[in-house]
Amino acid sequence: MTEIDHKKILAARLGTLFSRRNVLQGLGATAVVASSLSLSPRARAAAGGEIKLAWTDFIDTLDPHFTGFLGAVKVHNNIYNGLLKVTYDGEKVSFVPDLATSWELLDDKTHLFKLRDGVTFHNGDVCDAEAVKWSLERVAYGEPKSPHAWKLTQLDSIEVIDPLTVKLNFKQPYAFLPVALTGSVGRAGTIVSKSAVEKYGKDFGRNPVGTGPFKFVSWREDDSIVLEKNPDYFEPGLPKLDKVTILIMKEASAAVAAMMSGQIDGMSLCPLQFVPQMKANPNVKVYGEIEGNYSYIAMNCRAAPFDDVNLRRAVSFAIDRQALIKQAFFGEGIEAHSPISPPMTGFFDAKIAASGRGQSFDMDKAKAFRAKARNQDVIEPVYIMSEQGVYGTRVAQTILPMLEQIGIRPKLELMERAAWVSRRNSGNFDMFDLNWVADLDPDETLFPEYHSTAKWNYPGWKNAEFDKLVEDAQVVLDIPSRRELYYKAEDVLMDEAPIAITSHMPVYKVLSKKISGFEYIPADSLNLHTVSLG
Amino acid sequence: MLFQALQKVLQTAIVLLVVSVASFSLLKLAPGDPIELMLGTEYSPEAHRSLIMELGLDRPAVEQYVLWIVKFVQGDWGTSYVSRAPIFQYAFVEALPVTLTLAVSALGLAILIGVPLGVLSAIRKDTVWDAGAAAFALTGTAFPSFYLGILLIWIFGAYFGWFPTMGFVPPWEDFRGGVYHMILPAITLSTYFMAMIVRLTRANLVEVLEQPYIAAARARGEPNWRVIWLHAMRNVLMPLVTVLGLQLGTLLQGAVLTETVFSLPGVGQMITNGVLNREYGIVQAGVMMTGGLFILMNLLVDLLYPVLDPRLRPR
Repeated sequence: MTEIDHKKILAARLGTLFSRRNVLQGLGATAVVASSLSLSPRARAAAGGEIKLAWTDFIDTLDPHFTGFLGAVKVHNNIYNGLLKVTYDGEKVSFVPDLATSWELLDDKTHLFKLRDGVTFHNGDVCDAEAVKWSLERVAYGEPKSPHAWKLTQLDSIEVIDPLTVKLNFKQPYAFLPVALTGSVGRAGTIVSKSAVEKYGKDFGRNPVGTGPFKFVSWREDDSIVLEKNPDYFEPGLPKLDKVTILIMKEASAAVAAMMSGQIDGMSLCPLQFVPQMKANPNVKVYGEIEGNYSYIAMNCRAAPFDDVNLRRAVSFAIDRQALIKQAFFGEGIEAHSPISPPMTGFFDAKIAASGRGQSFDMDKAKAFRAKARNQDVIEPVYIMSEQGVYGTRVAQTILPMLEQIGIRPKLELMERAAWVSRRNSGNFDMFDLNWVADLDPDETLFPEYHSTAKWNYPGWKNAEFDKLVEDAQVVLDIPSRRELYYKAEDVLMDEAPIAITSHMPVYKVLSKKISGFEYIPADSLNLHTVSLG
Repeated sequence: MLFQALQKVLQTAIVLLVVSVASFSLLKLAPGDPIELMLGTEYSPEAHRSLIMELGLDRPAVEQYVLWIVKFVQGDWGTSYVSRAPIFQYAFVEALPVTLTLAVSALGLAILIGVPLGVLSAIRKDTVWDAGAAAFALTGTAFPSFYLGILLIWIFGAYFGWFPTMGFVPPWEDFRGGVYHMILPAITLSTYFMAMIVRLTRANLVEVLEQPYIAAARARGEPNWRVIWLHAMRNVLMPLVTVLGLQLGTLLQGAVLTETVFSLPGVGQMITNGVLNREYGIVQAGVMMTGGLFILMNLLVDLLYPVLDPRLRPR
């Protein structure tokens, strides 16, 4: 490997990484330094007060190192901090120090973090280098094993230099680290209180103790989670609210009704079908942009009929994405041609539609590939579906006539979610569809999904060339070279088509106009520290 | 009498045991795995294996059941897999009072409106009143409660903003708030029963009013209200109480839907979530509580008969 200017790379990462507008203009990474540590300009709003928010997405545990659900992570972000955090200024997503005051790369494998002085946990414990070390080690080597341990497998050792300086040594350069260390989507770098974990053991998830803007008060099943202001929070003047009540509501339509009648102040997630209604409501503001996600139709590469690459290609060209977005997603979303999505701004290819890269709708090509397929009879694959998530069974129903045109007549099997998850994980299907959400880095969106040893490789696809490309990209920190590798990897993936990729989706949150100061981040987070009433 | 009651209690215990075996087996036979659901997107075979061991789900089903029931009767109901909620607290202390409040309010409302309406339609047989009550009863029976709930929410909650549409306020802590929050859910759950009570009361009262003893009472010059409410209703109560006791199951079933629509943290929501997430401990606790409640109510009905009808008293 050639000599790398690590400082320059770091500056690029911190600053411009993901300037969406720049990339859309085709300028790539330009050096604009983010002033992301400064406080919100809306600091004038009155302090105090209580808000009630409906959480329609599932919360499993309040222990960030053991969660598997975004609904829970959205709560964690208000209780805990990470070493780094995600910020967004309407154009670019950046990773900036959170519990740290600075982040330096000594060489491509060694990261040095200077920590904030005087930060305490909600129980009064000091959050210093030892606490950070302990927390990261809990993720990496703890017992029981954290499901996020894979994010730190490249970690070699953690050194405490002094009480406010901690050094992370990695076995090899690790490009995914900023995401792994954010308190937002990464979940591996979220710092928890050692003494609280030791005190509560397995029940730490019901008695969370962090350093964040809000302290945990209570959690009543099917009812609510209550948070209150942390008066000792390290960002001066924050948080503004005294109390946040999170109402656990399974039924989105009930939450919408409560929103319309002003009984609640916001919703953590607004299903697409209610978005027009919410946008028309004068008392409500809808927040949402295309986020780091994609929806896809998976095909089982392990067995006939979809072990045949030509048949998979035929499917990937037969899907009319525009029609699908209109009919199944209520017109919300943009066509996806490859997994790398708009918020991954240093990597997203804004001109992908015109470039001919990736998958798109082309019935002639679909028919041509279908003619090359091994099985020329009408094929009836098993398509498993479940009334779950935001899209339910609408994708399956919409694509049926499209597939019919290339002689594929899926047998739709409707089942309950638990059965669906079980069959998906065990590879007992021919087709299914899924929306894959909240990724901010191409590694996160490609490696754990499609590498032949990957845990989320539901289609069971294996390709040595792809494996090599995504492995190489993991240790390259330079953005243009990394992008190059990911484009090649994507091209292999899209051509071999274990999935037919369909769209990138907006994710909507709804807040009452009474609330000001909310800072939207396209990573499905709902951070409330800057929020105030009035 | 005491012997009879004891016998019933013993029967109850056996029935509950059978119910618990049945629900446990059904849940175990259903496809799906709690650990897969619990891990969500962070699922991996290793994490799966270690959690299965930790939660004791690798043991034979019979052993799991025995372990569960032994602890259950000792009052150790366990903790939920996913959120690690103590199940006794969740099911018995938090969820059960919500469902009981909802059921009692709905039943109370149904009786309060249904009985007078039934009486009205019986004594004004074949008039506009009767037809009106019949139409009301038919609509009430035919209307699915979840749909009615959503309609009520949109009309009285979202459009007029008169009533809260979600959440539970314990009436024993804040009576006004509790009643206020319970109005729409109680109406939703009560319509079916109200309709049933109207029809039952009318049919039975019409029959009773033709009995000679009613004619005798009238001949004695007793006022009309006495004839109906004291003499006739006594014989209407019997079938009414019997049917209501038997319909308690339907009431609890309706509570599941009503609780979901109105976001009430009751037993119905608890069992639904339990089943969807394959939380065996929660489902078992819910089934035992509702089963116990159902049997208890029927026992109560049985014990009530001699009180209501002196002819059934042992001599």
